Amino acid sequence: MSAGLNIYVLVKQVPDTGSKAGLNPDGTIDRAKAKRMLNPFDRFALQAALHAKRTYGGKVTAISMGPPPAVEILLETLEHGVDEAYLLSDRRLAASDTLATAYALYKVLSYIGKPDLIFCGLQTTDGDTAQVGPQLAERLGLPQVTYCEDFHMEDGKVHARRIIEGGYQKVVAETPLLITVANSYHPLEYKSFRGAYRVRRLARDQEEMKKFIHTIDLDLVGADPDRTGLKGSPTIVAWTEKVGELGGSCVMHEGQSAQELIQEVISASDLNQFLVPSSTSK
Amino acid sequence: MSEQPDVSAFCPKGDVLVIAEQILGDLQPVTLELLGAGRILADKMERNLKCLVLGYNLGDIPQKLIEAGADEVFVADDQELYLYRTLPYRRVVVDFLESLPEPPHTCLLGSTTTGRDLAPRISAHFETGLTADCTELDIGPYDHKNKVDPTKIGLYPNCLYAIRPSFGESLKARILGPWKNPQMATTRPGVMTPNKIEPGRKGKITSVPVTLQPNDYRLIVADTVREVAKGIKLTEADVIIGGGYGLGSADGFDLLKQLADVFENSAIGASRKVVDLGWIPYQHQVGQTGKTVRPKLYIACGISGAIQHRVGMSKSGLIIAINKDPDSPIFKFAHHGIVGDIYQIIPEMIKQFAEIQSGRGVEAVVGTH
Repeated sequence: MSAGLNIYVLVKQVPDTGSKAGLNPDGTIDRAKAKRMLNPFDRFALQAALHAKRTYGGKVTAISMGPPPAVEILLETLEHGVDEAYLLSDRRLAASDTLATAYALYKVLSYIGKPDLIFCGLQTTDGDTAQVGPQLAERLGLPQVTYCEDFHMEDGKVHARRIIEGGYQKVVAETPLLITVANSYHPLEYKSFRGAYRVRRLARDQEEMKKFIHTIDLDLVGADPDRTGLKGSPTIVAWTEKVGELGGSCVMHEGQSAQELIQEVISASDLNQFLVPSSTSK
Repeated sequence: MSEQPDVSAFCPKGDVLVIAEQILGDLQPVTLELLGAGRILADKMERNLKCLVLGYNLGDIPQKLIEAGADEVFVADDQELYLYRTLPYRRVVVDFLESLPEPPHTCLLGSTTTGRDLAPRISAHFETGLTADCTELDIGPYDHKNKVDPTKIGLYPNCLYAIRPSFGESLKARILGPWKNPQMATTRPGVMTPNKIEPGRKGKITSVPVTLQPNDYRLIVADTVREVAKGIKLTEADVIIGGGYGLGSADGFDLLKQLADVFENSAIGASRKVVDLGWIPYQHQVGQTGKTVRPKLYIACGISGAIQHRVGMSKSGLIIAINKDPDSPIFKFAHHGIVGDIYQIIPEMIKQFAEIQSGRGVEAVVGTH
């Protein structure tokens, strides 16, 4: 551990679902027009990666896969204190499902180094699958801790707390290890002044930027294009259907005293069935 | 159009397999739901419904699985499987699937912290498709015409239709992967309907060998804590009182807890914003980055109803929203909207419910006389 930990954080640029920009009438998203953002779940992974670096020493490398604009979120990770970033960008990756994505990321990680810790967000807001992290761990042959809420290291091992149904589990895992970070982990801290200054300087000098953000493609990492994109994806979206519009059938109660409002709602909605049975009859 | 592949090659015979989930001997409800959904798929294709269960000292769990609809149960019972750990469970499932003369047609797991941990490992190992968090499953034909990969073109008579919400639940997507078995999916807890339990139902129970490798021990479980505290089991509550930024402060949740106490099997939910503010722990968060709930009654207090929250609770049986702002988006999909100040409305609500309860008490007393 003398050279410090080799820490990776996987991030994705997703459409900003909070914004109406790029939302097609049929409910699909026009990714070219949509506002873009760092996947909110990845903010926790980024915080965990930076925490590991600050506490145990080492280097944090961010990796993303996506079209060229995804460079924006890599710059954002640099502002927060990430040391270096890679963007895997290749037209042949279009329409990759989770398995094809995990394969491509596996080739990237094999190409750029030997990880000690890999952090991923729990899932993405545009896919909601939570599959890529564990699929990547499988490809790399690594143990994993998913739904991680907190962790620390002791004697080179990771002690982590992970959410389970109705509770939690404390686990101790060897490195190298892949961790997917839950939202109950610490929120991402503000950008560091140094990081923000560094990115401002980089943004003015494309040559300098290339030293810290590397854009790579499938050929460079030695990935088989047939195992990525539509061709390498075992699943396809056969069709989509718009889910019924919002009812607009809300019965409004307003303009009276609180007492009258509640009486009205109770008589209109049969709420009594949900009440705790009375104990006064005992 | 020249080389149409032989369709029979894509009409595999395999059965439907459910991977059961138990925690410390408690069979998880999602397993019974999966057996319900799996039974329908198996019957449609005239195949068997099989179930694999892993654990230690499983006792009557295999028989329970048969009574819940499985035709055959495979049991991996070993001390090393007492608590769920990714690598040992992965090893047993992979070895089991490889030992079968042909892979199952479909393999289903629950979308739980365990299912979502294990299923992707299995799918990546076999390089087969996996669809997360399905809300509907079906079997049907599919005519694939996309020419990007000519080897995939063809008519597939029996495909798993894995149906799930996407894009913030404004769309439903049907996801297919008939080219390789098992076709895998995880389903959301609380969505599928279990079979009626048939006591004494007969089925085959087969033991499965457990052979772990040294590198399956790279993670140990030091402790498992199950919190049964009220307010935590959001997904199983009949009534949820949800609090948002309109509460004004963390103290507002004290009032919501008082309201929750009026109802049976109730829990407290929250919007992302108040969780981020630290007003209430993450376990209470409902919505896109929290839990998906469908209680019989959801009372939204000071929640604006942004899409991120809506997707987690819009399927609730009855939604009552309380908000100061009459233009709040929550009034677009609530069933009853109350425009007013939470701090006036909720105490009044608690008061009136208390009166109803005591009134009911009087009736009950009168009734017994």
